[in-house]
Amino acid sequence: MMLERNMTASPSRTAKVAEDHLVLSEVGMTFGTADVIPSLSLAVRRGEMVAFLGPSGCGKTTTLRMIAGLIAPSRGRISVGWRDITRLPVHERDMGLVFQSYALFPHMTVSQNVAFGLEMRGIAKREIRVRVETALEMVQLGHLSDRKPRALSGGQQQRVALARALVVEPSILLLDEPLSNLDAKLRDEMRVQIRSLQQQSGITAVFVTHDQVEALSMCDRIVVMRGGHIEQFGTPGEIYEHPATPFVASFVGRTNRLSGVVEPSGRLAAAGQGLLAEGALPVGQVQIMMRPHRVALLAAHEHVPPGHNALRGRLTGITFVGDLIQANVRVGEDEITVEQPTRRSTALPLMGAEVTVSWEAGDTMVFAGGAT
Amino acid sequence: MTTAIALTRSRRRFSDHQVAIALLLPIALINVVGFMLPIFNLARFSFNRATTGGGIENVLTLENWTGLLRDPFYLELILNSIWISLGVTLCALVLSYPIALYLHRSSGTWRTFLTVLVISPLLTSAVVRTYGWIAILSDEGPVVGAIKSVGLTPPPLMFNINGVFIGLTEILMPYMILALMAGFGRLDPKVEEAARTLGATPWQCFRRVILPLTAPGIALGCLLCFVLAVSSFITPKLMGGGRVFLLATEIYDQAIVTLNWPLASTLSILVLIIFGAALVAYSAVLKRLD
Ligand SMILES: Nc1ncnc2c1ncn2[C@@H]1O[C@H](COP(=O)(O)OP(=O)(O)O)[C@@H](O)[C@H]1O
Ligand SMILES: [Mg+2]
Repeated sequence: MMLERNMTASPSRTAKVAEDHLVLSEVGMTFGTADVIPSLSLAVRRGEMVAFLGPSGCGKTTTLRMIAGLIAPSRGRISVGWRDITRLPVHERDMGLVFQSYALFPHMTVSQNVAFGLEMRGIAKREIRVRVETALEMVQLGHLSDRKPRALSGGQQQRVALARALVVEPSILLLDEPLSNLDAKLRDEMRVQIRSLQQQSGITAVFVTHDQVEALSMCDRIVVMRGGHIEQFGTPGEIYEHPATPFVASFVGRTNRLSGVVEPSGRLAAAGQGLLAEGALPVGQVQIMMRPHRVALLAAHEHVPPGHNALRGRLTGITFVGDLIQANVRVGEDEITVEQPTRRSTALPLMGAEVTVSWEAGDTMVFAGGAT
Repeated sequence: MTTAIALTRSRRRFSDHQVAIALLLPIALINVVGFMLPIFNLARFSFNRATTGGGIENVLTLENWTGLLRDPFYLELILNSIWISLGVTLCALVLSYPIALYLHRSSGTWRTFLTVLVISPLLTSAVVRTYGWIAILSDEGPVVGAIKSVGLTPPPLMFNINGVFIGLTEILMPYMILALMAGFGRLDPKVEEAARTLGATPWQCFRRVILPLTAPGIALGCLLCFVLAVSSFITPKLMGGGRVFLLATEIYDQAIVTLNWPLASTLSILVLIIFGAALVAYSAVLKRLD
């Protein structure tokens, strides 16, 4: 408390950088002999929505369950607003958790489900009725309040689960792959709805997902996880444009991969052809990556604008998919995929033709080490 | 496609309906001969008159029934049977519930092992298990010995209602555990976790979520145990030492010892009526739970 007051008083705070709300310090989890999470440290700021993004089995749910208190971490410390909650029992943590399987109470109606958390907090009956009604209106389910969960569709159950978690105004909202059991159209709707509810209430939220689109489009910041550790923690823009590792580059968005070298002189080359890149380069074997849609397909001797890379190769495949042309170009040992929006005047080059692929120097991502 | 199906249908010799009837016929016949007819006979005997020496006079009379309801001995016996059965059922429920819940939550070989442990008493006959209890609870047994060794006077445990109660409860527990587990299907650990994250203490979670979701299992287990307790014979007979009078033991005495078949039949039909009432109560509970 003391610290907080001092900080708000200091002039440097006028820039209004949100304070850290949920902090994990060297948190680890071991199941039997399996070290599922070796050591994890991160801080979620007040009012932001952070995604835990990673492939299935990387420890996202485990981390979320430790935050909620459903499992006790083997090591480390979890705190919320400076208060250490590592040993606090689940029911005293004041966190709203939305499960992948919804986990609604099957023996209660929709409104009883939503009222449950309020009843546990000993709130007066009349106030409960009003708040439940408001919460159900918020997710457009007011008309279904007397139904049992089994009489609802998946999307409706999901919204009840959301209303049930939000109605108690928890300090932190935790969502575990809340959209993965919905069909594509509903998923898009719910994405927008969850994000706008989170922003309206200004609640701090953690959103677990293995879907990069959800993470990029909904969240303020993204924790990319792999094998129980953090690969990168940053805004969607940072994660996408400046991935810290080859894993992040290929897990978030699609990538082309070329093997290359950085000579001691600092010259970058792939397949014997020189390339441009921004920033400092690691000397030795490197992986070079760029996004397919940022690469252009040019005729062999077409002019390449300054500041652009150009690689000569041979066209090995071309597919016309209406909006896009996808082309595969063999460059030395590697193959590059190019995606270009079509124009009416686009003339398709012939298979086997000599072509040039070109991209801006700034779109070149270079990582130390050979291909794995 | 549809014509092909229609063709195979019409070429088949028997319809699904006929096959079903053919398959059900043997068991239906066995039931009629082995169950319905004897019950019908019992019902008829209960309106006949008993003669000395074990005979049955073939007249239509209500005197068995009116006699039963006027005799304080029988009224007490009936009420006693019902109360003891309800008490045993409640005890078996309280003792079995935690075991069933633990079994429901465990998994793998551990669960299989425990389930076998629960079922294994059913592999020994109730007679053997009852004698086991007699050995344990008798005046020279370990329980009385243990109570005496701490300087207390033990209550009489054997050849009275206490022994019958203890023995019946243990003997019925496997049935209760299995019935409870069969009814625990709706209990999803995620739902309990949801309740806990919403601020429910362990007790509130039990009271508001676990208990209602396991209620169908509780109802089923109670029905089963009550019915088995009302009709139990060996345990009350052996552990009661001839001093505990319950419906099943009295039916035995009347049919085998006194040779009063009309009275035995009347009591048997009464047991069936009690079962019917229990079933009605069970259906009502299930309907309310839904
Ligand atoms: N209770 C548990 N006991 C043993 N291993 C577990 C347990 N829970 C999770 N794991 C293991 O931990 C790893 C991470 O699981 P999880 O956190 O569910 O991954 P994610 O949610 O990212 O898909 C998995 O390999 C899983 O098998
Ligand atoms: Mg998961």
